[in-house]
Amino acid sequence: MEPVIKVNNLVQKIGRKPLLQGITFEVMAGECLGIFGTRGAGKTSLIHILAGVDRFSSGQITIYGHNIRKTEKFKRDIGLVTQANSLFRDMTVVENLDFIAALKKAPKANVLEMIERFNLKEFLSKPAAALDIGALQRLSLACAMLNRPKLLLVDEIMKDIDLPSRNLILSELEQFSAGGGTCVSAISTLTICDYIDKVAWLEGGTITLYDLQEAQAEWDRQEKYYAEQSGRCHA
Amino acid sequence: MKQILNIAYYEMMHILKERVLFLMIFFVPLLYASLFGLVYVSGILQHVPLGIVDLDHSKESRDVVSAFENTPDFKVIPEVTTYAALEKGMKTGLIRAGVVIPEDYSQKLSQHQLTQILTIYDGSNLIYGFNTRKYFQQVLNTFSADHTAAYLSGLGMTKHEITNVMDTVSYSMEIWYNPTLSYATFIYMGLALMIFQQIGLLGIGLTATREKERNTWIQFLSAAVSPWKIFLGKALPYYIANFFNYGLVMWVAVRFVNVKIEGSVALIVLLGLLFDIIVVSAGFVVSVYVPNSLLVTRYLMLISVPIFVSSGYSWPSTHIPKIINELVRLMPYTWMAEGFRLLTVKNLGFSYLVDKIIVLIVMAAISLFFALTFSKRRKPPAQTGLAVNGSISYPDKSCLRL
Amino acid sequence: MLKQCRAVLERELFYMWRDKSLRHILLIGPLLGLLLFAGVYSYQRIGNIPTGIVDLDNSSASRQVVEELKNSQNLQVAAYFDSFAQLKESIKRGEVIVGVVIPDNFGKNVALHRQTRVAVVIDGMNMAYATNASSAILTVTRTFGAQVGIQTLIAQGIQANQAQEAYQSIAFPEEAWFNPTLNYAYFTVLGFALNVWQQCLTLAACMTIIGENGLRSWLQIKTSGISSAVLFFCKSLVHIAVFMLIVFPLYYLAFVVFKLPLACGWLNLLSFTLIFIIALHSLGTMMSSISRNAVDASRYGMIIALPAFVISGYTWPLEAMPQWVQHAAWFLPQTWFFQGLNYLTFKNPGWGFMSHYYLALGLMAVLFYSVAALRLMVENFLPKGGLM
Repeated sequence: MEPVIKVNNLVQKIGRKPLLQGITFEVMAGECLGIFGTRGAGKTSLIHILAGVDRFSSGQITIYGHNIRKTEKFKRDIGLVTQANSLFRDMTVVENLDFIAALKKAPKANVLEMIERFNLKEFLSKPAAALDIGALQRLSLACAMLNRPKLLLVDEIMKDIDLPSRNLILSELEQFSAGGGTCVSAISTLTICDYIDKVAWLEGGTITLYDLQEAQAEWDRQEKYYAEQSGRCHA
Repeated sequence: MKQILNIAYYEMMHILKERVLFLMIFFVPLLYASLFGLVYVSGILQHVPLGIVDLDHSKESRDVVSAFENTPDFKVIPEVTTYAALEKGMKTGLIRAGVVIPEDYSQKLSQHQLTQILTIYDGSNLIYGFNTRKYFQQVLNTFSADHTAAYLSGLGMTKHEITNVMDTVSYSMEIWYNPTLSYATFIYMGLALMIFQQIGLLGIGLTATREKERNTWIQFLSAAVSPWKIFLGKALPYYIANFFNYGLVMWVAVRFVNVKIEGSVALIVLLGLLFDIIVVSAGFVVSVYVPNSLLVTRYLMLISVPIFVSSGYSWPSTHIPKIINELVRLMPYTWMAEGFRLLTVKNLGFSYLVDKIIVLIVMAAISLFFALTFSKRRKPPAQTGLAVNGSISYPDKSCLRL
Repeated sequence: MLKQCRAVLERELFYMWRDKSLRHILLIGPLLGLLLFAGVYSYQRIGNIPTGIVDLDNSSASRQVVEELKNSQNLQVAAYFDSFAQLKESIKRGEVIVGVVIPDNFGKNVALHRQTRVAVVIDGMNMAYATNASSAILTVTRTFGAQVGIQTLIAQGIQANQAQEAYQSIAFPEEAWFNPTLNYAYFTVLGFALNVWQQCLTLAACMTIIGENGLRSWLQIKTSGISSAVLFFCKSLVHIAVFMLIVFPLYYLAFVVFKLPLACGWLNLLSFTLIFIIALHSLGTMMSSISRNAVDASRYGMIIALPAFVISGYTWPLEAMPQWVQHAAWFLPQTWFFQGLNYLTFKNPGWGFMSHYYLALGLMAVLFYSVAALRLMVENFLPKGGLM
């Protein structure tokens, strides 16, 4: 089976500073890849590159068989939730949905469905700027899903949000995976990530692939190691 | 098509919501048009304050004085009676021109000796200078003709004979296209077109930078919508608003400032449509590639004066060095302003404007090409280090409320 | 206190320097403007106005007319045409600005003292051409008319000295004061360059307050306990000093290299420039204080700075504007500056006259700074968002 995303030797430099130094990985259909790293490791850059938003220095990326440097077609099948909010703050919730649906050429029915699924009815006429973070992330995901993407790119979607929203989003993500959807999710903690199958640990511009348990074990190991190093804990 | 209209609709909503932008687009052009209209509304420089130093105080010298009193071109300022006062008045701007009649004026005339009337004008402002010089010539031509006629009649010639002699060679001087030499007709539409260009650029110039600053540009980039649709949708409201302003400014010009605007309406519309395309697409391209609104605003503000001055609209391009001429030929404004003036002031037909129109079409095509095919991959935002205001953010009080 | 001041001064310098676009605008903008305008007006005078002649007569008398035109100071005979239609076409195309039509039988008619008429046509589209062309033509016609008149009178049996007296007993010498050669560059280059300069300064001045309270670091400043007065005074000091520094090379080029007239001497000019800079800075600061962000501040500032030059009456004179526009124009510091500049550089009317200008600019500075301070105080004491 052809992988959904094929990244080969991806290099990204910001100015003269190298950020990603030759990353290679694949994501198969139905898989959910978590990109894990601390702040500044390049998670957001990687997501933006995959979404076809940022230019990159060198390397090859194919998504659904399209070379993403060359075409816009693959964007029909992806949904993107950014870390820094990218919704239209001067518009209401329903205007956001409507406008982004127009950009994505998604039918009206999808808008109604998303309002239902993400429980946005009570906010419809509120400006997006006035939403709390939980509702905002629900709206972000709703907007990303408007075109019924096959590939979802989400960036730190769970950070700092309230529990009801978290559960709603988690169940949507799980449902998405169950429906055969592929997902790449940038995360900065290894908690609340049951929906993830594989972890790409991004550090120093390169990645190491783990499965979830391995990654969590590695995190625990490092945590302990550094604690001992600093002499903070001798256990 | 629906996508384009949708983008246009939301851009429109945005313009309506952002107060300053709305005022920029719908109010500032009218404001500037009226402001410049008021400045140039008189059109012709009249009542140039004139000091006459009559050192002779004779009947003959009073004839000179009355020659100047009887023309609307000059306004004689009675306070100035001595040469010292004239010098001082010229320095303080009380008067802009002076006439000195020597104390032996009538005496010399009666003794058949050559005498003179000295005329002085202020060269520090050449609009005064050039006009005053012309007015002097006119008054003195009449005055010397009268003098000759009087002299001949003194020789016993009849009125008929005198006319015959004096009109042997007469001159008719006609000034075409702008017979009253109205300054408003000359300069107003040039400034108005500059306003049109600047406001047009500044309006659409912020359309993408604004989205970048709010991070919403990502929504456009990550959706599978083609760049040309984004451009057309976003440009449409500005295009229409600009064209509306084009008409509005011309209306102000004709109705209130008495600017002469003749020529074929179809051609006026064609020029406007072409120039509008150039302005809108150039502004959009700037917006896509410049990192933030502050930079767009700063740079765009400053280009107006240099382009206007060197375009050859006021100071004729025949008197501008070649290299500067070649440079300003790259500016659409140069062609537009010249074409518009040939059309509306000289009332020329299509065949005289064809080169201007072709150049504008080519420029429109080039700028459209770049606007329609802009890259949907952005340069990744850089950490700018110590640089200030060069990245996607600039000082904004609302950041403190986040 | 002094230490605080020094810290603010240094930081402000860095802040201005690191703002790359502002740096370019301030350092390069005005100079580039001056060089460009000096280039544009390097011909300095509207001479050699292209003149076309239709000589339908081709006699010695008509050639005399042509000769007279050729001798005229500002006209240049550029083309001869066979018919009026050709001349008309050429004027339409802008190839010639002045057209002179000498009718057929001109020479014969002059010789027989029959009336004849020379038609002169001037393209009025460009005023710089048209006013100069009409003056030139008026001079030519007067001299030539006199020549023919004298000949006619002599032919009619009037004595030569009487004939001459009839036409030439009064001479009309003219003097253009302050700019004797009617040099257009003297008139415009400095004015236009300083126009660009004041626009650049406005952009910088518009950052004074919003450049502080529009940044997150404003919280640091507020908690640090430094008084706003000290902070903004020091900042303004740096701005004013920098603005002053920028004008030096500009003035050097203008008055030393391009040798534009400077009647008033350096000290007068520089002190006048300084007071204007302070007034302009105060205006920018006021705009900065009422804006939500730097873009709006720049827009507000430029809405005034862009048309200010036209309104100032430096080119089209104030006196020719409607009364109330004149009154309104004097509310702008730019009007005082450009008017004052014209007087200082060309005429040097003396301290008694200029003191009004200093006073007005000084008062404006006080007023605008006060408004800015007031606005800042109100903002500090009102609850957040209360004014938005």
